[in-house]
Amino acid sequence: MSELTRRQALGQIATGAAAVVGLGTGGWLAAGTGSAVACVRPPGALPEDDFLSTCIRCGRCADACPNRCIVAFTEESGFESSMRPGAGQRGTPVIFPRRQACMLCNGVPGDELRCTSACPTGALTPVGKAPSEIAAIDMGTAEVDEHLCYSFNGASCGVCVRSCPLEGRALRAGLWERPTVDPEHCIGCGLCERSCVHYPQAIRVRPRGETA
Amino acid sequence: MSKFRVARRTVQILVVVFMFLMPVVARYQNYVAAREIDRVLDRWSGTAAGGVLSAVDSTVRLLPGAEKERAGRVQRDRAQVLEYVQAARGGPWSATVGPVSMTDPLGAAESIVASRALPWVLLASLVVPLVATVALGRVFCSWICPMGFLLELTDKLRAVVRFLEIRPRDLKPSRATKYGVLLAGLILAAVLSVPVLGYIYPPAIVGREAHDVVFAFFDRAEMGRFGPWAGGLSWMAALLVGIVLFEVLVSRRWWCRYVCPGGALYSLIGWARPVRVELDVDRCTQCAQCVAACPEGLNPMKNRMGLECDSCGECIASCDDDALRIGLGGPLVESFRSRSTSRPEGSA
Repeated sequence: MSELTRRQALGQIATGAAAVVGLGTGGWLAAGTGSAVACVRPPGALPEDDFLSTCIRCGRCADACPNRCIVAFTEESGFESSMRPGAGQRGTPVIFPRRQACMLCNGVPGDELRCTSACPTGALTPVGKAPSEIAAIDMGTAEVDEHLCYSFNGASCGVCVRSCPLEGRALRAGLWERPTVDPEHCIGCGLCERSCVHYPQAIRVRPRGETA
Repeated sequence: MSKFRVARRTVQILVVVFMFLMPVVARYQNYVAAREIDRVLDRWSGTAAGGVLSAVDSTVRLLPGAEKERAGRVQRDRAQVLEYVQAARGGPWSATVGPVSMTDPLGAAESIVASRALPWVLLASLVVPLVATVALGRVFCSWICPMGFLLELTDKLRAVVRFLEIRPRDLKPSRATKYGVLLAGLILAAVLSVPVLGYIYPPAIVGREAHDVVFAFFDRAEMGRFGPWAGGLSWMAALLVGIVLFEVLVSRRWWCRYVCPGGALYSLIGWARPVRVELDVDRCTQCAQCVAACPEGLNPMKNRMGLECDSCGECIASCDDDALRIGLGGPLVESFRSRSTSRPEGSA
């Protein structure tokens, strides 16, 4: 090993420090800035903070989804839903129900929801297809906007109620097909929002962790 | 070309094919799950997107039990096909092949420090990468990493640059830089509680970009556009281009040698690897061809390939004197040997 001159040593330390600082800043910027936004995570996701720290943004849950409802959260994918990733959220898996909602792997073989069994980090904890396990999912809660909903405004519709996988419990049709959400039972799959014939959607999923 | 290099190139190419094929399989799965596949194949026949999908479809249907006869027609067994398509998934950052789940130790490390937890699934996903690295060293870099492969190819562009009468520089910062990047990245991940290294780690970026390019290709096809496409790349691809340009013009293999946090972690995990490049001092004529050949810029004549060697075998291929080979060595093997040779003396 040849001896370093002071000049070389300082130069190496400087380049090293520059690399560390540059890449750190780059990584931090790439992760996304601004405050984190509440968004619909795939089923079985850890609480948002734990989810953000555990998920390695590999995208395997998105690839595993038979319904292609899970996408990587970027400015582009969130554009339609007027959402942009906040700090640490870029590239994380997210569901925009109005684009495509979670069908709970209905009709797909396997004992577990596919995204949850694809996750290599435990950011999504495995969710089985037993009714009790499905009922325990919490992606968010649907909310009806009575100003927009046809059934509250002189026409009866009821499409969202028909699309609900927990029909009669999570979403009930009242007089003139007026939908009522039971927050206790609603798991936030978003099939109602996906199916809503009104635009903008009269029924929407409020992501878990977002206060009303 | 040496057999070793043929094997290595084959694996590297297979990884690249896998990386582009897996998103195609994901799309195929979507169409099968939606019972759309027949219509899609029909509508897209004669286009590139249709060709790729029907190639996947024909391959899957060759597998046992993937077809069944119903109403006098041979059809896909939908459940079985959906079973098959999830057998292999992922990319260089994290993948499943058959029953084996593998995740990059860098991703796992930053997930662990950021979340302060180590779930069983993650541990299971680390077994194969860790065992391979502990035994063979930093072989991910030379055999698997698509960015390493790309840089090996673009390294040849330096000759083109020289031909254009531009003298490429060869800056040599300290190799310790990458350990600093690794440490700083892990500290940043712990402080922010976000695994940040994955955003700047080239194999992870390459996998994401490849995935997005394939998806953009099919998204276009779904809109009825089948022409040549350029889309799906994010601005992170610019980082890759920057790395390549810097490597060609300023500093040879700088990313792998001096900066890559993943390479640093693989080096540390594989420091005691028993399977490594070994030098036969008696045969070596000090011709230094191996020094010129080493992509990592190491000196196989001198340092017996310490921490940084990724066992790519380029030095072995370059050696005219048969002085270098893959053999058993390293601190663990040495101490085992010295113990087993000293014991008979002590007992005698």
